Amino acid sequence: MVEMLISGFASILTLKGILLIMGGVILGLIFGSIPGLTATMAIAICLPITFGMDPIDGMALLMGLYIGGVSGGLIPAILLKLPGTPSSIATTFDGYPMARNGEAGKAFSFAIVASFLGGLLSILVLIMIAPPLGKVALRFGPFEYFAIIIFALSLISSLSGKSLAKGMMAGLLGISFAMVGAAPIDAFPRFTFGNSAMDAGFSLLPVLIGLFAISEILINAEKTVKDNLKVNMKKISYKVSLKEYLGQGWNWLRSSLIGLGIGILPGIGGGTSNILAYVAAKNSSKNPEKFGKGVPDGVVASESSNNAAIGGALVPLISLGIPGDTVTALLLGGLVLHGLQPGPLLIQNNGDIVYAIFAALLVANVFMILFLFLGMRGFVKMLSIPQNILMPVILGLCVVGAYGENGRVFDVGALFFFGLLGYLMVKYGFPLTPLVLGFILGPLLETNLRRGLMLSQGDFMPFLTSPIAAAFLIFTVGSIGLKIYSNWKKKRNARTQQFELLEGEQ
Amino acid sequence: MKGIWKKITFGAAAIALAAGLGACAESDQAEGESNSSSGYPEKPIEVIVPAGAGGDTDLNTRIMAKAMEDELGKPLVVTNVTGAGGTTGTQKVKDAKPDGYTVLAFHNSMLLNKIYGLADYTYSDLKVAGVGVLDQSNTFVVSKDSKFKNVEEMIDYAKENPKKVTVATEVGSMTYMQILQIQEETGVEFNIVDVGGASDKITALLGGRVDIVPTSLGLVQGYLESGDFVALGVMAEERLEDAPDIPTFQEQGVDLVVDKVFLWAFPADTPDEIVATFTEAMSKAVESKEYQEEIKKSWLNPTYLNPEEASKKLSEVEAEYQELHELTEGQ
Repeated sequence: MVEMLISGFASILTLKGILLIMGGVILGLIFGSIPGLTATMAIAICLPITFGMDPIDGMALLMGLYIGGVSGGLIPAILLKLPGTPSSIATTFDGYPMARNGEAGKAFSFAIVASFLGGLLSILVLIMIAPPLGKVALRFGPFEYFAIIIFALSLISSLSGKSLAKGMMAGLLGISFAMVGAAPIDAFPRFTFGNSAMDAGFSLLPVLIGLFAISEILINAEKTVKDNLKVNMKKISYKVSLKEYLGQGWNWLRSSLIGLGIGILPGIGGGTSNILAYVAAKNSSKNPEKFGKGVPDGVVASESSNNAAIGGALVPLISLGIPGDTVTALLLGGLVLHGLQPGPLLIQNNGDIVYAIFAALLVANVFMILFLFLGMRGFVKMLSIPQNILMPVILGLCVVGAYGENGRVFDVGALFFFGLLGYLMVKYGFPLTPLVLGFILGPLLETNLRRGLMLSQGDFMPFLTSPIAAAFLIFTVGSIGLKIYSNWKKKRNARTQQFELLEGEQ
Repeated sequence: MKGIWKKITFGAAAIALAAGLGACAESDQAEGESNSSSGYPEKPIEVIVPAGAGGDTDLNTRIMAKAMEDELGKPLVVTNVTGAGGTTGTQKVKDAKPDGYTVLAFHNSMLLNKIYGLADYTYSDLKVAGVGVLDQSNTFVVSKDSKFKNVEEMIDYAKENPKKVTVATEVGSMTYMQILQIQEETGVEFNIVDVGGASDKITALLGGRVDIVPTSLGLVQGYLESGDFVALGVMAEERLEDAPDIPTFQEQGVDLVVDKVFLWAFPADTPDEIVATFTEAMSKAVESKEYQEEIKKSWLNPTYLNPEEASKKLSEVEAEYQELHELTEGQ
């Protein structure tokens, strides 16, 4: 294996190979950092260019784009509270408050290092144990997916902020919006009101950037120019001590493993892993109340998990020829067009190319951390751009992104609709993340429920008796129980304190 | 120290930019070789694929688009418009300006959407430009541990175990029709389950959740070579050139021949001259060596059908589906 890896490095470390990876990382970072443009789009655009290259060069470019595209999302997430891609939703939770507190530089340092290490861990896992891990993914059928999604939905309780009721309402609203359009399985149109433009339903990108970006622009528009954030550029500190990094070690590992695990399971995707890792970090922290106010832990959790999902998503692709998300589906197409046969024999028959892909990933990961650190001071300067110039530019980019995904004007309308909805929700104290989570997971839940019932010919028992599914359901009940208990304890403590105070007064 | 870093950054940026420009120059080369007389095309043509990026519909279209760029002298830009079983993308082309700059690339599912009432239009509501590839490699594959290894054994086993043999499909798709057709022909009853697209089916078979996966041979090549999967038969009139060991369904006593027809079509009011220019380019592209090589990698049959032949083929397929739908309705 070591020899194969060395020859993999040898085949990409040509001037052309290095330039392609570098170009890919830069282009990917640009796509990732612009709200509405994603790694998927960058790869879709560049895929035809790779047709004319030899397979190794083509893959080198695509891997650069993939790593860059996933990592670039952290820039607008931290600076502007706009998730550049679904993978960096949770980065906004603490990254943006840190930037507001004048710690943008520090947030970047944490996010970049976390991205690098999360990616590195997952790439190493991919190189070493892809085939056995791929087999694990095969054990997940509809019953198991159903249970995992139920578990993920239960996280809404941790993402609801002050009011659990409002969080639940937002989550249910998300599930409802996801039901518009063609139903899973039989593709019959639902809630379209006879309007054929609604047949395809709402796609994730306009919903996401509408809720987060457009609403934020509207909120900013309320403020007078005087309110503008005045950042003293010289005061921004970038220094993070080694001790602070080391303090994130356990958080980093846990988040990376979550990202890796979600990445390996085809179909769930990076949009979920960062939220999951964030909640895990929050729930196991000694100071959960500080989350959302600007703690590096939140940034580290989100950014290490989304980059770890890269290696995870490549596991089933390389070992089984099964793509887990839209990006890996494109990569699968790229492999086929280069005359490779993705499947169980890929490593055996085309080991040279597979190990060149591994080497390209490792090199791209290094370029990613390099470019982000070099560019960091430049990105932070964005904060000094007056809002009245910056916001319209972002608005334009959001529209381009919403239109660009599917080339439909309907999506632009949806963007503004969800923008307005997001604005109203923020105004009335409803959290946005449960809506997105419900929107992403609702259709997956329904699809797997219906598929499971077809498989069991209408029997609900397998949803409970499959060992993996049962484990996740017990986990869900346990975590909800724990949450209720801790809330109850908190309330009781507060009450006894009040009593004591009252007694003391008497 | 800082100065050096700055220089390196700028240097890197400049090199990347140069590399990007180089790539652009390469793709622009095609523009010089324009050979159309009528002036069409004068700008890039948008190709709408109503299926996700990376699937076989998408791949076949991209290969064809690449070959046609050389003939037409303008880029063909492939856009994936997914959703609603392909009706969203189809609708988009149907409603597009009929100027020859928006074209649809799709297949049999379009016919099924009409039959199942998901769309109120079909290929005949568009102007068919032709067909560039036929997929005749439709097959049923089973795992290497399966209790049956050919079509006859499958039918016997399914008859002994009614509703116990699980077949993977997407409801309302081509493979769904194939399963219904076999049930009609042979009187067996399968347990038909929806598991999703082509790669989800592979996952389900590998995970042992289903017994039979209907798919295209090209999509499971690797698994056939490794011996993990066994093909029960191929739904073609003759054995495939690339897979001479796989018997046809007909040989095994089941009269089932399926062509997946990859068609190209313009909005109905597109001028005939434009469609003629386009279809001529298609016929040349299909002849080209690169196209033939690329398409054959997936065990597909590079076949050019002109608009009349294509429409005839599609009407045959449609009639077959319609009949089957009426026979099985209510089941």
